[in-house]
Amino acid sequence: MTRQTVKPTLARLGLHAVLLSAGLLFMFPFIWSISTSLKPVSDLFQVTPSLIPSEFRWQNYSDVFSSAPFVRIYANTIFVTIARTIGQVFIASLAAFAFSQLRFPGRDFLFFLLLAGLMVPDQVLIVPRFIIMRQLDWFDTYQGLIIPLIFSSFGVFLLRQFFLGIPKEFHEAAKLEGANPFQIYWDIYLPLARPALAAFGFLAMLFSWNEFLWALTVTGDSNMRVLSVGIALFQGQFFTNNAILLAAANMATFPLLIAFLFFQKQLVEGIALSGLK
Amino acid sequence: MKTAELSVGTQRRARLFGSNQQARSEALWAYLLIAPMMIGFSVFFLIALGASLVLTFTSWDMLTSPVWIGFANYTRLFGDAEFRTALWNTTAIAIPNVVFRLIVALALAMALNTNIRFRSFYRMLFFMPVLTMPVAIGTIWKWLYDPAFGPINGLLGSMGLPRPEWLLEPRTAIIAVVIVLLWSGVGYDMIIFLAGLQTIPRDYYDAAAIDGASAWQRFRDITVPLLTPTTFFLSVIGIIFSLQVFDLVYVMTRIDQTNQLPTVVYYIYEEGFRSFRMGYAITVAWALLFIILVFTLLQFRLQRRWVHYG
Repeated sequence: MTRQTVKPTLARLGLHAVLLSAGLLFMFPFIWSISTSLKPVSDLFQVTPSLIPSEFRWQNYSDVFSSAPFVRIYANTIFVTIARTIGQVFIASLAAFAFSQLRFPGRDFLFFLLLAGLMVPDQVLIVPRFIIMRQLDWFDTYQGLIIPLIFSSFGVFLLRQFFLGIPKEFHEAAKLEGANPFQIYWDIYLPLARPALAAFGFLAMLFSWNEFLWALTVTGDSNMRVLSVGIALFQGQFFTNNAILLAAANMATFPLLIAFLFFQKQLVEGIALSGLK
Repeated sequence: MKTAELSVGTQRRARLFGSNQQARSEALWAYLLIAPMMIGFSVFFLIALGASLVLTFTSWDMLTSPVWIGFANYTRLFGDAEFRTALWNTTAIAIPNVVFRLIVALALAMALNTNIRFRSFYRMLFFMPVLTMPVAIGTIWKWLYDPAFGPINGLLGSMGLPRPEWLLEPRTAIIAVVIVLLWSGVGYDMIIFLAGLQTIPRDYYDAAAIDGASAWQRFRDITVPLLTPTTFFLSVIGIIFSLQVFDLVYVMTRIDQTNQLPTVVYYIYEEGFRSFRMGYAITVAWALLFIILVFTLLQFRLQRRWVHYG
């Protein structure tokens, strides 16, 4: 492990100055978005706009709720995200356990098949998936939004790597005690894999919350939209000015950013883990 | 843990009794545990992939049955100027995006891989855009780039500089989009670089310092070569993902119902779900898959020239 030591105070201050100004530059879009979301309409049409609103119009936030089925699409997004995340973590961890701990004919071939699936972009599959949805009559339904996206090859890959790192003795011992593989998975491997499950779960949640293309394809009714699609499509229609639009965008993004503050360590480690394997 | 304490007798019994039967039961359990994943994968990946390939040989509007037209979609692809524009826009976004991201991310990772205070605070600042919904990012930045009332042109104007119509001109729109993608993706590369930097043994730097190597020499001769596997990984997945850009660019550059900067995935969506030319839309998607594969293989080919594996 290396961490460079910066000794002279002057160099350290310089580094802080650079990082702090870069950080401010990075935060500027968020800051501007918050400032805009609080502006009255007259502030939006200034050739040299100012950061501080002439008056704080908190009503823009309540206008979001009255101008669009925002409560509904917010609830849709939360529900769909939770369902997809639980589904992905459960299904992928079951498969990852089998691929890493059990011996069975065809194991390596099936795993390779899943990995190959990672390389195919979703756009190739989107039309056939759409046809399947129409056949099942799942257009504009929650199952249509949820089920096609709960099978994560990436999750199987990530969790398998983690399970492989757990000492085999745990497994052998439980097997001799007469535990069946599901019990071993549930009682031993899941608790031990909690950091990896948390990291993958957060990634799954993030991906699901922000997902756009599939939600755009499989829904048409305003009441079945999710936040990403709503914000992209309701511009001009429901969100009549930029202050209201950005209030909606802020409400769609800040909950996740706040969750990140709490899960920062796990998430960063999880991402580093996924990148180095 | 009580399961860890095993008598020798139990172990012997396990070895004596039907190892064949045990293997079969283990395999059955395994199939049961992978079943949900494999069923979903078969339906939404394997079957979908097969159907997708077949549909490239058809013309289909989703209302009537598909009509077999042989290779007509493929020949159309080669003469399609709109596809060429979309492909050009996509590569013109993807390549600078990956290059700039790598450079800025490495600089940030180097600055954060020191013993200064507030490291995790800074890391959080640079990482926040990675978590932000691309549609929201597009919405926010479209407003920042607004030619008449946005802060970017406000600043340029107050300095007496020209105020470009950023998103209305393909050339400036590409620059604008690359800046946004840099902002939104650099935090991810930075985290991976930080993890890579952590694996470089400290002794290397100490030895080099004793030999009188300057900071720049240590960076050039130790850090850069030892990070090449990380850099390679990031440039491979960076290209794969940026060739698929859609939502962010779609939100930013769709102005008055027309898209100023159509990308390949946007074109697929338009052809399929707006113009109802499903067969052709899927053919474009396969072309994209092929292009991604070419870029990836090319990078793996070139890797021998510059990637050092310890």
